[in-house]
Amino acid sequence: MKKAYLGVDIGSISTKGVIIDKNNHIIASDYLWTEGNPINAVKRLLKSLEKQFKKDEYEIVAVGTTGSARKLIGVVLDATVVKNEITAHAVGTTTFYPDVRTIFEIGGQDSKIILVDDGIVVDYAMNTLCAAGTGSFLSSQAKRLGMEVEDFGPLALTSKNPTNIAARCTVFAESDLVHKAQMGHKKEDIVAGLCKAVVTNYLNNVSKGKRIASPIVFQGGVSKNVGVIKAFEEATESRIIVDPNSHLMGALGVAILARKNKEEKPFSFSIQDVEFKTKGVDCNGCANHCEIICVYKDNKLIDSWGNRCERGAIKERQNKVKV
Amino acid sequence: MVKYNVGDSMTKIGIPKALLYYRYHTLWETFFTKLGCEIVESEETTKEILSRGTNFAIDEACLSYKIYLGHLESLIGKCDYILIPRIATFCDREIVCTRFQAVYDVVKNTFRDRDFKILDYNVDVCEGFSEQDGFIKMGQELGKSKKESLEAYIYAKGAMDAEHKKQIKLQKEELKKDNIKILLISHPYNTYDNYVGKPVVDFLKSMDCTIIYGDKVDREKARKKAHKLSPTLQWTYNKELVGAIEMYKDQVDGIVIMSSFPCGPDSLVNEMLVRRIKKAMVTLILDVQDGTAGRETRLESFIDIIKLKKEEEHEKSKN
Amino acid sequence: MKKAKISFPHMGNYCIPIEVVLSMILDCEYLTPPPITKKTLEIGSKYSPDFVCAPFKYNLGCYIEALENGADTLLQTGGVCRLSYYGEIHEQILRDLGYDFTFINFGDSEITKPTKIYEKMKQYNPNLTIKHLAKALMIGMRMIDIMDKTEDYIRENVGFEEEEGTLDSLYEAMLKEFRTVRSYKSLKKINKRYQKMMKKVKINKPKNPIKVGFIGEYYTALDPFSNHFIEKWLAKRGIVVTRKLNISNTIFFRNVKRLNKKVKSYMKYDIGATGMDTIKEAEWLAKHNYDGIIHVKSFGCTPEMDAMPILERISEDYHIPILYFSFDSQTSEIGIETRLEAFYDMIEMRKEKNK
Repeated sequence: MKKAYLGVDIGSISTKGVIIDKNNHIIASDYLWTEGNPINAVKRLLKSLEKQFKKDEYEIVAVGTTGSARKLIGVVLDATVVKNEITAHAVGTTTFYPDVRTIFEIGGQDSKIILVDDGIVVDYAMNTLCAAGTGSFLSSQAKRLGMEVEDFGPLALTSKNPTNIAARCTVFAESDLVHKAQMGHKKEDIVAGLCKAVVTNYLNNVSKGKRIASPIVFQGGVSKNVGVIKAFEEATESRIIVDPNSHLMGALGVAILARKNKEEKPFSFSIQDVEFKTKGVDCNGCANHCEIICVYKDNKLIDSWGNRCERGAIKERQNKVKV
Repeated sequence: MVKYNVGDSMTKIGIPKALLYYRYHTLWETFFTKLGCEIVESEETTKEILSRGTNFAIDEACLSYKIYLGHLESLIGKCDYILIPRIATFCDREIVCTRFQAVYDVVKNTFRDRDFKILDYNVDVCEGFSEQDGFIKMGQELGKSKKESLEAYIYAKGAMDAEHKKQIKLQKEELKKDNIKILLISHPYNTYDNYVGKPVVDFLKSMDCTIIYGDKVDREKARKKAHKLSPTLQWTYNKELVGAIEMYKDQVDGIVIMSSFPCGPDSLVNEMLVRRIKKAMVTLILDVQDGTAGRETRLESFIDIIKLKKEEEHEKSKN
Repeated sequence: MKKAKISFPHMGNYCIPIEVVLSMILDCEYLTPPPITKKTLEIGSKYSPDFVCAPFKYNLGCYIEALENGADTLLQTGGVCRLSYYGEIHEQILRDLGYDFTFINFGDSEITKPTKIYEKMKQYNPNLTIKHLAKALMIGMRMIDIMDKTEDYIRENVGFEEEEGTLDSLYEAMLKEFRTVRSYKSLKKINKRYQKMMKKVKINKPKNPIKVGFIGEYYTALDPFSNHFIEKWLAKRGIVVTRKLNISNTIFFRNVKRLNKKVKSYMKYDIGATGMDTIKEAEWLAKHNYDGIIHVKSFGCTPEMDAMPILERISEDYHIPILYFSFDSQTSEIGIETRLEAFYDMIEMRKEKNK
């Protein structure tokens, strides 16, 4: 039996998963919408991965999770590695592009820049204020224009004169967009303008003050948009590398971390059939009223977190004793 | 670009048309011209200048500072020196926004890789640095004698004070007008900025209002008035505006307060004004986003209400 | 006559020396405001101006909670920057809310000068003598000094205790006893006893641990709740945390001229509030091979915002990573944690590589 490693990246918008072998080759992968229910999304993900997976050849020996629901899914999958998405992305990218100096990442609600020197993260930054200029921003604008966000890229490339759109704030960009559409701007120009606005917003807010050096690798869901790629190339005057698996880079990174980590734990796809539930409990230890998240596996409490102080932790422990 | 005394051999002093420019431009221009320098002013604020400035500023810095950096950067390579004053205190127990203390060092570090020279002067009366000494030091740096520099300063200061007095006098005439009079309380770098304040001023004028400018006021008197209204208020520039309200409020129909987001001193001073001044009042917060529609709606309804009230009072007095 | 019930907003543990000094110079009972919670910030934000800095909101929340708990006299110390004007606006907002109270505001006088304190406090206690005040202030200052030194020690060692929580509980007990201190002698005695116990706590520090400097805006850096307990988070991961910013270093032992000289390579002038301290500290940390720096402030804090472009240069020159946090009342916990985790991974990997 050959060893295999599962990496899962659960973001607010999409859930990504890969299974790799010991040489970092992808042997199964998928990408689907989280739809506000991470546990369910992971079950659907596992179903799809199981279909691609050769059970008689490989055996999953370690699991890594990343993304905003990393903790929850880490408990569900009994992960050996739970890592934040910045580190996961950096590890994934540097594995496949050892020379990379700059990583642009634009996901559903987060965007980040990671600066790498000699394979090591030396600096990073994340978006601060709001979701302006991220994937969900583009999706909502697509809806407004009555089209699929997937069609944005090719259409943007046909524009000769991109419309100027302010994208500092989602609300304001929206009213600007409506205004420009009513003034008679062509659809392709507006779409190209939106792609440009995403890039301007990114460069002004996320990567402000950071020295962008080549090679630049661009990833995250928005990296699939050729209009945004083109706008990035124009703004940075450099070539932008987009890996065919750019959308999976976080999952790949955390799978690699799980491989590098010595710890191994058996994993079974049958976890899809187990019932997981989460419950938010208000701690009444003080006026903070921390919402403690309790995770139940087949109605048994297996973990909890969310307390800011020890008062909550005691409650947590008592609970654990009870079950 | 506005140029004075065009000539190639003269030292060119670049002046960013932002922040304290609107308070001191007569002083600066007269002083440097008197010393035989050429003045290079940056152009009026445009969207482009703001967006350049936004690139260089910390994201949450105030709008006025972003505009300033845009102006400053536009002067690099166009002059021998760029003037940056450093202002901290004018007298005991009075301060200014710390940004005016920091701007020299922030600019220096922000543009560390760019090639340009800064001409600065320090006003920190509490620490023993007077404006006069600062100007003499600048004159000497430009190769002039102490005596020449002092004379130029005294002359320039006189010109600035005379200009200010003239403005106050002209405003007195405006106060006699019969139409709706609006007192505009805002820092001069917002009020007179082509991109920020001018649209507001123009809009008010288009609604047939006379504008009374809060900064055109006897400053010393205003500061005394402000002390009475708010004893622990220490920001000199805000004190003058607060005092102006006390001095003008009975002669106007309403007050428009205009602040940049997120101005430190204004964040508290506006709260004090709203709670203590009993007069029709509206507050506008200016940010990088250039949506003027919402602002105009606010102003329009404000003026409408004032007009209605005025008509009602007029009716009453007739009966 | 009824005794006054006096209260002062939380800022770290500094409530305690304030309580001791006030109890010694005024005929009053001291009321510690309830611990800061989410609710404190909610109440504070509700009645605060829109874009005022977060400490204003925390202070206001503490005042309201203190008043609701029976306080009838409130103290505001004032300070440099916006802080000097806090008091007057706090008082106005609270009066407009209908509260009846006495407000002792140092906003218009310098609290660092004992003569000013005497002038002010005599209004509230006509029998107060200079000698009496001097004694109280001496005790208060010495207590702050002890606390600052002890907290320095805890920050640098708490991540390596053999038994987790020992230092914290010892310190908590010490502070509890400090509240009863009314003489220099008893302060000395209590201190000696606890220092002995703390030195006995077993610390297993590796030879070359990860070291992080903590700098930034005064209130946010000093008050654990308002910086989302970052110091604790770091300590739990076995990191030495150094923070020089505290009352003794910035008020009692601050020498502006010396400070100005120290930061000369990066700045010519004092940029206001503790901006110079931030720069001096950052350069010190960089020169002493720290692995990273965390800079915290509340949203819109002008002096610290102005320090940031200078910090960027220090980061470039010394190749030291700096993580910036700007907190407002809406900051999300998960966002903080992700950034902190990534920062931790980054400095750990850098250290690994430079071995």
